[in-house]
Amino acid sequence: MADLIEQEIKSEIENNKILIYGKGTKSAPQCGFTVETIEFFDKFGYPYELINVLPHPEKREALNKMTNWPTLPKVFINGTFYGDTDILGPMEQKGELQTLLKEAFKTE
Amino acid sequence: MITKEDLTAYVQQSIADAKVSVTDRTGTMDHFNIQVVSDNFRGRNLLDRHRMIYQALDEPMKDGRIHALEIQAKTTEEI
Repeated sequence: MADLIEQEIKSEIENNKILIYGKGTKSAPQCGFTVETIEFFDKFGYPYELINVLPHPEKREALNKMTNWPTLPKVFINGTFYGDTDILGPMEQKGELQTLLKEAFKTE
Repeated sequence: MITKEDLTAYVQQSIADAKVSVTDRTGTMDHFNIQVVSDNFRGRNLLDRHRMIYQALDEPMKDGRIHALEIQAKTTEEI
């Protein structure tokens, strides 16, 4: 069962340039930090995906192990894990995030 | 619920030189902002600094005394 979930997570990460695992959905977020992360990415105008892991405890556990990060939301950009807005905020202030996003969405 | 003193003690147990300042964000003593200053963060990126703090607070997070946590992690030069 576990590797099925890991496969599912890996393909979600590969298929979404900005991927947020969080609590609730875009239209009905269920946690302040999930709302904060949605608003954070809305500013940049790039498309992002929010996957609700509240109804999937085993998926949530697999993500905790994969990232060695105990909380939600969890953000992946271009396949790499970046934690949450506590990490992305300072990256934005240094301008690192803007470069990363441009790189991720530049069309080959 | 957990007190600021206990939170600080948990952090200092694994990050000995940590200077810790805690703010209760909602008045319910379980949604915190925590700033940790330690020279053990030198040479570590933000993700690893935060992981160190999560490991230090693993117990009160797992048993629900901490519900939500905002973290800032800096070295003495960065403050």
